[in-house]
Parts: sequence; structure tokens; C-alpha cells
Amino acid sequence: MLIYALVAGVLFGLYFSLVGIGLNLVFGVMRIVNLAHGDFLMLGAFVAFGVVTLAGIDPLFAVPLAFVIFVLVGLLLYRVLVPRLQGSVNPEMLSIILFFGLSQVIEAITTIFAGTSERSIQSRLLGTVFSTINVKFFGGKPGGAGPISILGQGFPAPWVIAAVTSLIAIAFVYVYLYRTRLGTLTRAVMSRRDEALATGIDVDRVSAAAFGIGLGLAAIAGVFAPFMFGSVTPAFGADATVTSFAIVVLGSLGNPLGTALGGVVYGVCYMLVQTYLSSWADLLPYVLLIFILLLRPSGLLGRRVRVA
Amino acid sequence: MLKVTGAALIAGLAMATQAMAADAPAEIKIGTLYASSGRFASISMPVYSALKLWANQKNADGGVYVKAFDKKIPVKLVAYDDQSNTATASTLYNQLVTQDKVDLLVADSGSVLTAPAATIARDHKMFLFDQTGTGASFFSKDNPYIALMSDPVSTIWPKPVADFVSHDGPELGIKKIAILYSTNEFTGTQANAFRKFVKDSGAPIEIVYDQGVPTETTNYTVIINNINNTQPDAVFHFGYAPNDIAFLRNVQDVGIKFKMLFCIYPGLETELLEKNVGIKGLEHVFTYVPPSELDYKVNFGMNMKEYKAAWDKAYPEGKIEFGFNAVAGYTTGLIIEKTLSVASSLDQLELRRANFSLSGELKTLDGTFALDEMGGQIGELTPLGQLELDDKNPEKLKFISIYPHETATGKPVYPRP
Repeated sequence: MLIYALVAGVLFGLYFSLVGIGLNLVFGVMRIVNLAHGDFLMLGAFVAFGVVTLAGIDPLFAVPLAFVIFVLVGLLLYRVLVPRLQGSVNPEMLSIILFFGLSQVIEAITTIFAGTSERSIQSRLLGTVFSTINVKFFGGKPGGAGPISILGQGFPAPWVIAAVTSLIAIAFVYVYLYRTRLGTLTRAVMSRRDEALATGIDVDRVSAAAFGIGLGLAAIAGVFAPFMFGSVTPAFGADATVTSFAIVVLGSLGNPLGTALGGVVYGVCYMLVQTYLSSWADLLPYVLLIFILLLRPSGLLGRRVRVA
Repeated sequence: MLKVTGAALIAGLAMATQAMAADAPAEIKIGTLYASSGRFASISMPVYSALKLWANQKNADGGVYVKAFDKKIPVKLVAYDDQSNTATASTLYNQLVTQDKVDLLVADSGSVLTAPAATIARDHKMFLFDQTGTGASFFSKDNPYIALMSDPVSTIWPKPVADFVSHDGPELGIKKIAILYSTNEFTGTQANAFRKFVKDSGAPIEIVYDQGVPTETTNYTVIINNINNTQPDAVFHFGYAPNDIAFLRNVQDVGIKFKMLFCIYPGLETELLEKNVGIKGLEHVFTYVPPSELDYKVNFGMNMKEYKAAWDKAYPEGKIEFGFNAVAGYTTGLIIEKTLSVASSLDQLELRRANFSLSGELKTLDGTFALDEMGGQIGELTPLGQLELDDKNPEKLKFISIYPHETATGKPVYPRP
């Protein structure tokens, strides 16, 4: 039971790293709290529903599609919303109100078009592209992949695929932040926004890119939400935002890579609590939040980056 | 003399009728809540939509007959969105009673959102038409202000399931069972009742796993593995629709085949579960047999076939699933209609008396409406059934009624192949 819970926790946690990393990137660069983060995640799930329903293909194809769509949405939203917010006296506080409103609007519009019922995608459809390649080029047998064995125990294939995708996304964020010029500028803005502005960095361009990427990453996480949470409704966003926030604070607010660690710690803790104290499992995000704020307010990987 | 007396009587009667007509309200205000979003939207919207369907149908016909005013009066639904939030629901129930001054109070769907209504109705001495809130704590001898319209009260609902396990289980080889439930009034009560029935039966059944999880749980993989480690002969999961969806999907995903698996919602919201879990994931699952499969003879309102046609006409876009809850909402409408046709005034205790007088007499598409002395529904019992692939159309599922034996349409498939 313990080994199963630990492995499940790592897989689940890696996925939660992906859920939270976009939120942290946006906060790190702009110091604004995107309370609509979970709603973009929900919209990512709807991109996956669209890909499966309209095109009838592997929902994995929704990953690049959702990313591109929501990077563009992010760039557009940034232009419309964020500069005015940054110009206000208290952008952090106002961002909470503004993005809460945006969250409500997104949920309401999605409900009008999609209804309130749970929606899902059959697990066997995820990763069919791999089984097709296996059959065509390696002489494999057709049919669903079934559970994947790790340390002699069976885990859902969608969990493993989601965890691998999360690792790739985290690596992408790392490369972006530490191996590209825009990433270097992004880190400069994250470190000291006013100094970055004074040195001539185009803070607006850097912020817009971070906002777009943040939303894109949320949408990628959303593609896997129907597989990780059983089903998704338009109201799914609020819970996802709370959990993301707990993970971000756990890792380190303002440090996107800390989120990766925060996600894994959250995942492992969640699975252990579900195994040994199942009735209390839903308290975990809040308990972790309180503990981390009391014991290590800067988060597990935190330096002196948080000013909020 | 006789002529004078006759004339006086006629004049008096005419004046009394006029006075009664003048006192009659322009509309009967029925206050209710619905959840357009959140965890309970999928069980709330079908109930609310069905109630709306009933109200529209009646209003198109000039309203409902109200005995208190001896005339047909249109009904007006005063409805607010509680967004599945109990705190919001409390405020809105209060608003319905104190601000809108509704004539009749109807609870939102499910025990979680009925709980605040039960308290508020009692405080304000308003009779609560409880649609599907089956939690046992709502019903007590000292509370005359509530009655359950459409589902069996949770304390007796799982009796056919428990009886099957106790009576037929040992013969089939069921000796060890696992119970998993969501910790809320509805499913918690069902689990408690089921456990008690099994223990009290004295059958040689051992409970090897018995755990509650938060209602918001969306991931059961680790729990399923833990249950599997106890090697149960049968697993009983008591959860709401989203819980059942996640649970059944996770069972499929981890490749574990329990010998017997019972869940509530494959029977109650079959369309919704089929969409989300898939036919393969539901095959051989034990569940409650819904009224739509039993086709009860009715003495009031539409029968199931007519109602389904009316539903499809009213909601052709298919965004709200037709299932147990859609039947429940319409049943509530019928019971309200019948209550108003019997009650001699709109006084809340008179409404209660009228409502209770229907017990055992009223037969709707949901079965026989029968209340116990505390207002718990005891008439609309659902047998235990099993979902199997339809021989004629393997792309569809059909219900096989298993227990009680007198209503059985087939034998259980055990263990699951």
C-alpha cells in the first residue's frame, strides 16, 4: 500500500506541478494573482473534448493546439487587462477582484454553451497515437494500452502520460527561463521589476509572453483533467485554482520551478492521506498552506523573492 | 317564506363565492432553488427542469386546481441559483420565505442542498416539499414541516441491496465485502443503513473495508488499490454522480475487476454515466433499477412514455440528461398539484395534512407515493438490478432486475467475468 501510494503520489504530483506552474509564472513576473487560472484549465479540457468529438483523434493532439490557442488568448488578454491593472495603486489586490470576475464570466459562458453536466473522455482514447505507431512500425498488437506496470503495480496509463507531459512542460519552462534571451529577461523582471524597467528591458513584452505561456500551460494541464479527475464541468475551475495556489505557495511563490517540487510533495501527501486517513484528504491543500506559511513562508525552494 | 329563505341562501352563496374569488391570489408562488453550477448541478438541473416542465404544462392549461379557492390558479416558480453552495442556499431559502413570501417551499435537489431548507422551513413553520433530500436526519417526529416527495428515505433505500447480500450473497460466495462512501448526508446515511441491515441480518458476511471519503473526491486510484488488497467478494460504493464517474473510470483504468461492484448512479443517471464512463465500464455493475425501467401504472399525471416524449420536446438540445432526477422533479410537481387540490387552505399545516392524505393513494410514474409518520418516503422503493449489454443492440445497456425475487427479471452475473 505504501509503495503504491508513493508512486501514485509522484505521478499525480507531477501532473499537479503542471497545474500550478503557469499560475506561478504569471505571479512571478507580474505580481498578479490569476484567480481565473483554473478556468483556463477547464477550457483546456474543452479543447480536448472538441478534438475528440469533432476530429475523432487522440486527445494528445489537443496539447499543442490548446497551448497555441491559449498563448494567443493570453497575449490578447494581457493587452486588454494587465497594463491598466499595473498602472493602478494596488495591482495585486485589484488583480484578485478582476480575475475573480473573469473566472465567473468564463464559467457562465461555458455553462451556457456546454451545460452543467459532467463531461469526460474515454481513457482508452488517450495515447492511441502510440499504439497506432506500435502496430504499424513495430508489429505490436492493436487495442488499448491498459494499466502501466511500475514496481510491479498497475497504474492508469493516462496518469503516466500526464506525468511525462508534465515533465516535458517543466523542462520547457526551465529551458525558456534559463536558456533563452527572453527567459533571462523574464528572470530579471521576476527579480526586480522596477530595476528591469530602469535598465531598458521591455517589461510589457516579457510580461505578455509570461502571461501567454502561463495560460498555455494551464490549458495543457486541462487537456488531462478529464483523465485525472474523472470528469470536468464548467464549475471545475474554482477548485483547480485553490489547489494550484496551495502547490505554488508550497513550492515557492514567484519561483516557477519550485512549483515542480511543490506539486510532487502535494501529490505524495495527498495519496498518503487518502491511504491512511481518507476522510481528511480534502483538507490537505489548506493544511499544507497553513503549515508552509507558518514554518517556511518563502516556500520549499523559496529565496527572498516573495513580496506579497 | 320558503322563497325568501331560498333567495337569501342563493344570495349568500353568491356573495361567499365572490368573496372567495376575490381572495384568491393571481398566482400560487412556489419558491425553490437550483444549482446551475458546482458539484450538484448534474442532479439539480434535471429536477428543476422537470419542475419547470410541469409548471409550464399546467399554466398552459390555465393553472392548477386549488381547492381552497375552488378554481384553477396559475403557478409561478420563484427560483434562485444556489450554485451548489450551502451558504448561498441558506440565504436564498430565507429570501424565498421572508422576502418573496412564497406560498409553497420546495427544496433543491439532494440532501446537501436540502439540509439548509429543512432547518429554515422548520424555523419559519413552512411545510417543505423535499424533492430528493433523503438524509435521515431531516425526518423526526417533532418536525411536521417536511415530507419527501420522490426518493425513498436513505435509511430504507439500500434495503434491497443489503437483503440481496444477506440472503443470496453467501450462496453466491459473497463472504467479504468492502464499503466506500462519500461523507455527506445522502450517501453517508445509505452506507450506515446498508451496514446496519447487513450486520443485523446475522448473515456470515465480514466487512473487510469500510471507509468514508470527502464528497469532493475525484480520484480513487489509491483507494481502489487499498480495497483490492483486502480481497473483497463485493464492493459497495455510495457516492454522488461525479464520485461514481471518477470511481468507475479509475476501476477501469487500473485494470482491477471486482467480483461484484455496486454504485448508486449508474441506475439513477444512466445517460450521464454512459457518456462519462462508457458502456464497458458499466457492464455487470449492480445498481438501483430506476422507475423508467419499471413502468409503473399511474393514476395521476403522465406515464413514463408520455413524460419522456414531453421532456424531449421541452429540452431537445439534450444538455440536461433524462434520468431519475428528471422523473423526481416532475413527480414533485404532480404531488404539489394533488396537494393543492385537496388542501382546504394554504395554511402550512393544512398543506401537510393534505399531502399526507395522499400517502398510499397517489400512483405516479415514480411509483406509489407513501409516507411514514415523519414524512420519509417509503413507497418508491427501487429494486437492485445489474447492467448488462443488450442482446439486440450490444451498443446499449439494459437493466436486469435482481432483487427482490418477485420483481426479478434475471439472475445476477457473479462473479463479474
